[in-house]
Amino acid sequence: MNKQPELVKLIDTTLCTACRGCQVACKQWNELPGLKTKQMGTYQNPPDLQWNTWTLIRFQEYEDKDGNFQWIFRKDGCMHCTDAACVKVCPSGALYYTPMKTVGIHRDKCIGCKECVAACPFHIPKHDAKTDKVYKCDLCYSRIKESHAPACVKSCPTGALTIGDKDTMIKKAYARVKELGGDANVYGDKFVNGTHVIYVLQFKPEVYDELPVNPTVPASVTLWKDLLKPLSLLGAGGVIGGAFFHYMIHGPKVPDEQNGGQDSVNTEGGK
Amino acid sequence: MKKGYVQVTDSYERILHWMLAISCLLLCVTGLGMMFQTFNFIGYLFGGLKNLKLVHNFTGLVFAASLVLVIRMWWKEAGVFVFPEDLDWIKVAGGYLWHVDKVPETGKYNPGQKLFFLTVVAAGIMMIVTGLIMWFPGVFPVELVRWMYPLHALGFVAIFAFFFIHLYLGTIGNPGTVQAMITGWMDKAVVKKQHPGWLREMEHEGKLIVWGEEKKDDAHGHHA
Repeated sequence: MNKQPELVKLIDTTLCTACRGCQVACKQWNELPGLKTKQMGTYQNPPDLQWNTWTLIRFQEYEDKDGNFQWIFRKDGCMHCTDAACVKVCPSGALYYTPMKTVGIHRDKCIGCKECVAACPFHIPKHDAKTDKVYKCDLCYSRIKESHAPACVKSCPTGALTIGDKDTMIKKAYARVKELGGDANVYGDKFVNGTHVIYVLQFKPEVYDELPVNPTVPASVTLWKDLLKPLSLLGAGGVIGGAFFHYMIHGPKVPDEQNGGQDSVNTEGGK
Repeated sequence: MKKGYVQVTDSYERILHWMLAISCLLLCVTGLGMMFQTFNFIGYLFGGLKNLKLVHNFTGLVFAASLVLVIRMWWKEAGVFVFPEDLDWIKVAGGYLWHVDKVPETGKYNPGQKLFFLTVVAAGIMMIVTGLIMWFPGVFPVELVRWMYPLHALGFVAIFAFFFIHLYLGTIGNPGTVQAMITGWMDKAVVKKQHPGWLREMEHEGKLIVWGEEKKDDAHGHHA
């Protein structure tokens, strides 16, 4: 297992034709049901990632400065962060790093607390009220651990989705960006210590719907897990130690003299 | 009980105190089971972490109800500082930290107890509000929900540390006082040392209930 390479899935958005083969293949391999969705006046369907939809092609209508229309297609889904906020907040160890450095999920361990839902900078994990569990892409862990490509990559007819070891894929992404020129850029290798899903984007990241420009582990998560969490035990431990020394050095508070108290009882008792 | 003991709390006070205390402790224990993966084993006591979460959430409701009643019951006595007496007491730390010849007199609750009470009230309300939002995060914006977790943790830092102070000062740190929350009867000598102002007031008003004496009309009723 420790010989497994660190994997990166490359999504070249410039090659995507929005056939949604990946969306279907994902559902098929992971046995996810199709549910009724709403028509939002777009080809994008369903409108967002759902507990039963782990990857989604986002359809975006884009017009450049000269008024030329163009579709932007972006395959959305878990980015498999190296510093994953979801793994950091998960109370039960349901979310974990796989040997390939992707973020897997032990569904049986999930307690449905939804802490990962709030923590994820990409808004990926989705909670299902019926099973009270959280769902997201695990990069087809059942496939990659056997050295098979994830279902989405396997299904992609245009070569927009490829997977391989990290260094090779990052090199490939930069070579492609160089070839494209213009605003083309690599998205994913520079933040949260690198994601294990990276994009080749044709435009600057801010152009894309629902794509954070500078995603980070939220400050609230760092404050909570790195400071307050240890402080809770340190504080209580300090108090227990302090009480011990107080008892030993200063001693407990006792009545001034027993007879004083007793006397007052006796004299005032019959009032 | 014996001669020379005086009644310092009634049954209503003691029951509410323990409702709040037990629910609070259960929340601390179950919360720790979710806060630290090292303590996940606590979940076994409840049949798994998922049940632990449910116990935590519903105990929170008991805690909330207890806290509301406790605030109603103790606010006048423990929620309001009286100046300048309380300030004088604080200046000498109630005689707890260094030798003080004469500790300023206090009422039923000294400023330290008031501070503990107010901490439980403030942190408790914060725990209830943040906890409810964490329980039903779907109806709130994610940026708001995110900050509920560190606030919930901050409340725990305060309550957990204060709990041990309370435990120490309510037992071996002040021998004889724990009876106030068990039987409700305390040695008058201890009361005289701890709460002289209150004792004098009760005696002055003729409300003091002394063991073995003719009971007032409603000895076990609620006076607070």
